[in-house]
Amino acid sequence: MGLPNESGDLLSKMDSDASRRLFPLRFYESHLSISTRPDGRPLKSAREAFVGPGDVASADGSAMTKIGSTTMLAAIKMEIMTPSADKPDEGSIAVEFYMPPICSPLVRPGRPAEIAPVISKQLYDTIMSSGMIDLKELSLISGKAAWMVYLDIYCLDADGALFDAALYSAAAAFSFLQIPVVSLSEEGRLTIIPEEGNGNKSDKDVVNKGKRKLTISSLPFSLTCGLHKNYILPDPTSEEETLMETFVTVVLNSSGHLVSLYKPGGPVLAQTSTIQDCIALTRQRMTDLQKSLDEAITEMKVD
Amino acid sequence: MTGKGSATPATYSPSPTSRKGKPPAYKDGDLNWARPDGRGFQQCRPAYFRTGAVNAASGSAYVEIGNTKVIVSVFGPRESKKAMKYSDIGRLNCNVSYTSFSTPVRGQQLDHKEYSSMLHKALEGAIILESFPKTTVDVFALVLESGGSDLPIVISCASLALADAGIMMYDLVASVSVYSLGVNLVIDPISEEESYQDGSLLISYMPSRKEVTQLTVTGEWSTDKINEAMNICLDACGKLGEIMRMCLKEAASVSSEVNLGRPGGRLKGLQGA
Amino acid sequence: MTGLSLGEKLFIQGGIAQDLRTDGRKRLTYRPIYVETGVIPQANGSARVQFGGTDVIASVKAEIGRPNPMQPDKGKVMINVSCSPTAAPIFEGRGDEEVSAELTVTLQRCLLGGKSGAGAGIDPTSLVVVEGKVCWDLYIDGLVISSDGNLLDALGAAIKAALSNTGIPQVQVAADASGEDRPEVDISDEEFLQFDTSGVPVIITLTKVGRHYIVDATGEEESQMSSAVSISINRKGHICGLSKRGGAGLDHSVILDMISVARHVSEQLLNKLDSEISAAEAVQNEL
Repeated sequence: MGLPNESGDLLSKMDSDASRRLFPLRFYESHLSISTRPDGRPLKSAREAFVGPGDVASADGSAMTKIGSTTMLAAIKMEIMTPSADKPDEGSIAVEFYMPPICSPLVRPGRPAEIAPVISKQLYDTIMSSGMIDLKELSLISGKAAWMVYLDIYCLDADGALFDAALYSAAAAFSFLQIPVVSLSEEGRLTIIPEEGNGNKSDKDVVNKGKRKLTISSLPFSLTCGLHKNYILPDPTSEEETLMETFVTVVLNSSGHLVSLYKPGGPVLAQTSTIQDCIALTRQRMTDLQKSLDEAITEMKVD
Repeated sequence: MTGKGSATPATYSPSPTSRKGKPPAYKDGDLNWARPDGRGFQQCRPAYFRTGAVNAASGSAYVEIGNTKVIVSVFGPRESKKAMKYSDIGRLNCNVSYTSFSTPVRGQQLDHKEYSSMLHKALEGAIILESFPKTTVDVFALVLESGGSDLPIVISCASLALADAGIMMYDLVASVSVYSLGVNLVIDPISEEESYQDGSLLISYMPSRKEVTQLTVTGEWSTDKINEAMNICLDACGKLGEIMRMCLKEAASVSSEVNLGRPGGRLKGLQGA
Repeated sequence: MTGLSLGEKLFIQGGIAQDLRTDGRKRLTYRPIYVETGVIPQANGSARVQFGGTDVIASVKAEIGRPNPMQPDKGKVMINVSCSPTAAPIFEGRGDEEVSAELTVTLQRCLLGGKSGAGAGIDPTSLVVVEGKVCWDLYIDGLVISSDGNLLDALGAAIKAALSNTGIPQVQVAADASGEDRPEVDISDEEFLQFDTSGVPVIITLTKVGRHYIVDATGEEESQMSSAVSISINRKGHICGLSKRGGAGLDHSVILDMISVARHVSEQLLNKLDSEISAAEAVQNEL
């Protein structure tokens, strides 16, 4: 019984850095009680988001996103494949999420992070079910050739809300994507023409002329909220993630429709209103994310 | 045909995009060849350094030299692995890996064992291991994009990250390589030049202490040529060291002025604007 | 390496400073070198080399392969080294992986030359049978049986001896088949081509202890090193590869000095090895 009080006394005497490490929960709750979060945010606000081109020259499209200090670099490489027999006029997408050892003290070489494959799967499911990409558009010659799209997302700095940042970078990478020019040789083989070689190639060989961009129908945006007691705390940092009881991740598309909702375990939610609050927060967040992305796209066109 | 990842069964192998259709940069015996990027033989690419790229790490650095982009994170000093025996000097643990999109052909050599051990050798002579007994400092490098001279850039970047993490060192380590191509020596080579090289020389150097921490040579060299190549490298290492030192000074003066910058303040920095 | 007492350490260091090492050698003297060739009958060439207590075996196996499309006029040479767990206590379990990998990489660097193949000890163009289609693949394997320092130099010498012991079968290409994608070849089991090993360099590791450097360091001496530089040098006195084995930094003039010392030593070592190899070959032929 005496312990909490004792630590309470200690807490007031200790400098904040030490108490943060020794009594993280009490430290955190003392912040919540004065309606603020340790990084200075108000309770209901998410961290600032940034999106920009990834400048990966060896990729066909790339994007870098930041949410707070969580940083993601996504790159898309396209290769030509023979489509599968049951879907002859569709291309295919592969999504991989990596957490290299540089991103967090918890990941070490040879011991990959457990959540990386979980996030890979979540990203793939979200991208496929949101309908943002029409797989038929990835077809080059029906039954013969189609695009295989490899989307690789690297986490460069992990500070919570990994899925949100990764999905944002995926959406941006697809928006920035330049489909390579493909030509049909006389023997009927398709080859990718490198950028600088475009000039001396006659246009009639080019299969996908004038189709260098994917039509993206509606982008998915997400927000993860941590739930702690009665608080709903959007966009938790990695420190907060270790303290929260459970999380709700809401994915909406740009027309505001619900794409997916994910709650991994944790205590039962007593009120459905909590979910509705989360959705409302996601809706607000979505407008910000969409706006930054649109700005980045226009900026890129100007360049 | 080409050895690709097992996940790509039915792809035709699209040849590395940047290499097709270009005449080879260098042919045997051609004395008046030009480098693919128009540089002089002894001209390095401009270097961009920045510390503090990864907040989750004790120290980190980002380097962009031409198309080569590298991030290095340093963790620790922290507890050594349980299996490790007692040691009265600290341990250094290095790892170098590549992103799947770093090379023209996707998904090759993600974990680079050889570079990991070379990085270790280049750094161990510069770190004061006695200053963190019983513990381990982890140096992890990720090559975001490979554009040639990857290893020397990783080494320079790692020494800057160690300084950013406050690990005690005798000096910064700057590293540069030269290739011998016919009668010429070219400094800071790019990927396109790699397949024509007759020999390579890599130096890691502590500019203030004037000490070489690592030197590797491949190919056949006469003593005079080695001497010449070493002098070119040492000169370039000195200049590179200056740039690295300036980057550290800048970071130190900025952090004392604005201690609580916006969390998004470093965003564009990583990109090398 | 088992721990040495302070007295033992000082004794080793003091001996080196006075040019009289614990086993009575001078700084630039080798331990007795013993060479035996043809130790593995099923390989195309093999040799066993002992430097004092260090004992290594190298074998060469040649197989018909296909040249790399990027380099159609060259055969392929693969080098791999492993350390037997009996060689030293630290090699037990997976303990040898790091050492083996390092030896492999250094040997590749010292023997295979630049990316274009220039300066290679083993001329890769001599391995081509039909350009772009058929070539010999050489698999060079090194095994450390007993370890008492200077593993790299011993392996380098063993590979050199194994290569001079190597006979590559004569190959006849069917005259009408040379245009085909995979021409048929006829491998003779009687006629063999001797390998030209005159260009194969020797590797000299100079270990720096205190202010001096020594050749052919024993395991005990290696534990006292501040740094070591391995230099591979051919008959012409050209450097074919160099690598510094970590440790403390060195002034670049020291490195240049080490190179000139190594060139001087290399001549003696090459002569010594060549005579040992021909003696061993003579013994093998008598049997």
